[in-house]
Amino acid sequence: MLARIMRHEARVLAADRSLWALAGLLAAVVAYGALNGASWAETRRAALEAAAAEEAARFDELRRRLGSPGDAIGVGALEVGRSSGARYAAMPPGLLAALVVGQSDLLPSYVKVTTDGRQSLDGADEIENPTHLLTGRFDLGFVIVVLYPLAILALSFDLLSAEKERGTLALVLSQPVSLRQVVLGKVLLRGLLVVGLAVAISMVGLAVGGGASGPGVLARAGLWMAVVAAYGAFWFALAVAVNAMGRGSSANALILAGIWLALVAVVPALVNVAVKAVHPVPSRAELVQALREASDEAQAEGSRLKARYFEDHPELAGGDVDADEYAVQALAVQEAVEASVRDIQGRFEAQLARQQAMVDRLRFLSPAIVTVEALQDVAGTGAARARHFAGQVEAFHESYRAFFRPRILRAEPIGPKDLDAIPAFTFREEPLPGVAGRVALGLAGLVLPAVLVGAVGRKALGRYPIVG
Amino acid sequence: MILRIARKEFVELARDGRFRASAAVVGILMVGALAVGWEGWRDISREHARAEADSRERFEGQGEKNPHSAAHYGLHLFKPKSSLAFVDPGVDPYTGISVFVEAHRRNEVDYRPARDATALERFGDLTAASVLQVLLPLVIIFLAFPAVAGEREQGTLRQVLSLGVRPRDLLLGKAIGLAAAMGIIVLPAVVVGAVLLSRVGDDAGAAWPRAAALAAGYLLYLAMFLAVSLFASIRAKSGRSALVALLGFWILNTMVAPRLATDLARRLHPTPSALEFASAIDREIREGVDGHDPQDERIRRLEEELLDRYDVDFVEDLPINFQGVALQAGEDHGNAVFDRHYDALWSTFDHQDAARSALGFLAPTLAIRSLSMGLAGTDAVEHRAFAEAAEAHRRELVRLLNDDLATNGADLGFMYQAGPELWGQMPRFRFEPPPVAGTIARLGPSWLALGLWTIVAAAAAAWSARTLRID
Repeated sequence: MLARIMRHEARVLAADRSLWALAGLLAAVVAYGALNGASWAETRRAALEAAAAEEAARFDELRRRLGSPGDAIGVGALEVGRSSGARYAAMPPGLLAALVVGQSDLLPSYVKVTTDGRQSLDGADEIENPTHLLTGRFDLGFVIVVLYPLAILALSFDLLSAEKERGTLALVLSQPVSLRQVVLGKVLLRGLLVVGLAVAISMVGLAVGGGASGPGVLARAGLWMAVVAAYGAFWFALAVAVNAMGRGSSANALILAGIWLALVAVVPALVNVAVKAVHPVPSRAELVQALREASDEAQAEGSRLKARYFEDHPELAGGDVDADEYAVQALAVQEAVEASVRDIQGRFEAQLARQQAMVDRLRFLSPAIVTVEALQDVAGTGAARARHFAGQVEAFHESYRAFFRPRILRAEPIGPKDLDAIPAFTFREEPLPGVAGRVALGLAGLVLPAVLVGAVGRKALGRYPIVG
Repeated sequence: MILRIARKEFVELARDGRFRASAAVVGILMVGALAVGWEGWRDISREHARAEADSRERFEGQGEKNPHSAAHYGLHLFKPKSSLAFVDPGVDPYTGISVFVEAHRRNEVDYRPARDATALERFGDLTAASVLQVLLPLVIIFLAFPAVAGEREQGTLRQVLSLGVRPRDLLLGKAIGLAAAMGIIVLPAVVVGAVLLSRVGDDAGAAWPRAAALAAGYLLYLAMFLAVSLFASIRAKSGRSALVALLGFWILNTMVAPRLATDLARRLHPTPSALEFASAIDREIREGVDGHDPQDERIRRLEEELLDRYDVDFVEDLPINFQGVALQAGEDHGNAVFDRHYDALWSTFDHQDAARSALGFLAPTLAIRSLSMGLAGTDAVEHRAFAEAAEAHRRELVRLLNDDLATNGADLGFMYQAGPELWGQMPRFRFEPPPVAGTIARLGPSWLALGLWTIVAAAAAAWSARTLRID
C-alpha cells in the first residue's frame, strides 16, 4: 500500500515544475559546496607542502654548510635550534576535509617549532581577509546545516494543507487508506529524494575532489550519511507536526520559517552568548602583559637564575664539560618565564575547555548545533581534532627542545651526523572510536527529537480536520 | 485619507497577537544584544587601555641602555575598540588585538579573539546589527506579505476600492502604517543605543555622525524590504506565493549571498599563504629586492659613501655613529620591502571586497553589511588603518632611537647608552580612526546599491499599484 501511495505521490510531484526547480537548486548548491570544500582542502594541502619544501630546503642548506670546510666542526646548536633547524609540525587535512571547512580556516594546521618558549607556538595565523572569516564559506557544512532544511521545508510545508486547500485530500482519503499512511508515503518519497540527492552528490564530490583515502574513510563516510539523514528526518518530522495542527499553507510556512530561523541562527547565537558569559575567556591583553612582566623579572634576575640552574643541574658545573654560560642563562630565563605564565596560559585552555563542555551539553537545544559539531568531527575540521593536534605539537616541542637543550648548554655544535637525529613531527590521527563515539552521541541528539516531534505529529494527525 | 488607512493598518497590527509576540521577541533580542555588546565593549576598552599604559610604562622604565637595545625591547600596542563596535562588532573577532612594535620587523596584529571561542562563534554573534540585518527584514515580510494579497483573498479589497480610494493612496497608507509598527519595535533599541553611545566617553563626539549615517543606512535597508514586500503582495497570485517568494528573497540575501561572495572573491583574487608572504619578505630583506644586493654589500656602500662625504679614512673618525646610520639604512630598506608586500596584500583584500560590493547590487544585504561595518569602524579597512598607524608609529620610534644613536653616540659605537629621559621623550601612540566623511565616501558603492534598490523597489510597488488586480 505504502509503495502505491509513494508511486502516486511521485507522479503528482513530477508534474509540478517547482519540484524540478527545487531539486535542481539543491543539486547545484550541494555540488558548489562540494567544489568549494575540495578546492579549500587542496589549498591547505598545498600550504603544508610548501612548508615541508621550505624545511627541506633549509636542511639541505644546513647540510651543505656542514660539508664545507669553514663549518667542519659544526654549526652552533642554538642557531640550529632557533632558526636553521626549525621543524614544522603539520596536521594534514582530515580524510573528509573536502566536505566541511569548519574551523580549519581559523585554527592553524601547521606550526613552526623551535627552541623558543612555549608561547612561540601560539602565533602563526594564516593570512585571510577577515571579512571572509566573519562570513564563513560556502561549503557542504553550510549547505547541509542551513540550506538543506530549507529544501525539506519547501517541499513539505504544505504536505497536507495544500491538498486540503485544493480539496483533494478528502478524495484521497475516500480510498481505503489512512491519513497516517498517506503522510508516511509523502514523507518517505520526499525524504528519499532530498536526502538521497544531498548524500549522493556530496559523496560524488568527495570522490572527485580526491584526498579521501586511507583507513576509516568508509566508516567516516557512513557517519556523514547517518548525520545527514538524521538531521533531515528531524525537519521532516517537524513539517509533519506543523501540518498536523491543521492550519493553512501560509501559516505553516510562517511557523516553519520561524522555527528554522530560531534553531539555525537564534538559538546558536544565544547559546554562544550564554557560554561566553558563564565561562569568559580572559583577555589576551592580560597574557601579553603577564609575559612582559615575567620576562622583565627573569631578565633582571638573570644571573641568580643562572646560578640556581647550575645548582639544579650539577652535571653542568665543573667536570670535563664546558658549559656555555650565556646559553645557560638564556635557558634559565626562558624556563622562569614559562613557569610564571603557565598558570595564566592554562586559564585560556581551561576556560575554553569549559566552554566546549557547555556547548557539548547545550548543543542538544538545537539540531543545527548538533549537526555542525558532528559534521566537523567526521570531516576532521573541528575543534576536537585541532586540540588533538595542539597537544601533539606541545609534546613534540618538548622533545625537540630536549634534543637541543644539552647540546646548547654544553656548547656542543651540531654536526652532519646529528642532522638526521633532529626530531621530526608525525601527526597521529585521532582514533576513530573516539570520533565515532562523539558523533554517535550527536546522532542520538538528532534522532531523539525527530522521534519525539514525529510522535507528536502522529498523535495530532489523529485529530486532523480533513475538511473545513 | 492616507493617514486614515495608515491608522487602520497600525491599529490592526497592534491588536494582532502575532505582531505583539514578534515585536516583543525582536525588541528584547535587540536591546539584549546592545546591552551584551556594550558590556563587552566597555571591558575590552578598559583592558586595552590598561595594557597599553602598562606597556608604555615598561618601555619608559628601561634603565640605561643602548637606544638600539631599547628598540629591540619594543612595546605592545593594543587596538582600541571603535565607539560603535557595540552595535556592530564586524570583523573584530577575526582580527588581532595587539601588535608588538620592535626594530627590524613588522609584526602582525596578533590574537584573533575567535580563536579563543568555540565553533558557535561561526554561526554569527547575536548583535544589534545582525538583528537589524537578518531578523527585522523577516518580521517586515511576515507583517507585510498579506497587506494587499490578504485583503484580496478576503474580498475586502473590492470594498475598499469601491469607496473611491486611489490604489496608490491605499498602498502609501499601508506602508506608513507598517513603518509605524516597525518603528515601535525598533524604538526601545534606538533609545538604549543612544544612551549607551552617550556613555562611550571621549570619542562620543566623533561617533554621533557615524551613528546618524548608520541609522540612515538601516532606514534605507528596512524601507527597501518594506517596498519589496508590498510589491510582492500586490503582484503575487496569492498570499501564499507572495510569502514563499519573499522568503526566498530573504534567504538568498541574508544566508546565501554573503557566503557566495566569500568563495567567489577568493577564487577571483586568491589570498597568499602566510608562509609565502613571510618568506618573500625575508628573502628581499636579506638579498635585496632583486636578489643581487645582499645586506653586507649595502652596508659597505653606505660606509664608503659616508667616509667620502666626511672626508675621513676610518669609521671611528666619523663625527656620527656609523651603527646608528647603518641601522636606519637597514630599516629604510626593510620598510620599502614591507610597503611593497603589504600594499600588494591590502590590494588583494581590496579587490576581494570590491567583488563583494559589486554583488551588493544583486543582494542588498551585502551592501548594508559593508555599510554597517564601515560606519561602525569595524571593517577590514578600519582594521588596516590601525595596522598602518601602528607600523607608522614603529617606524617613527625606531628612527628616533637610531637618530639618537647616530648623533649622540658618535665615537662610542655600541657602547653608547641613553637613559629614561630619552625613552620618555618618545612620541605616544594614539590611534585616530579615519574621519567620518572619508568613510562615508569610501562606502559609495554600498550607498548606491542600497539607494538604487530602495528607489527601484518603491517605484515598482507604486507602479504595480496602478494596475492593481481586485481579485
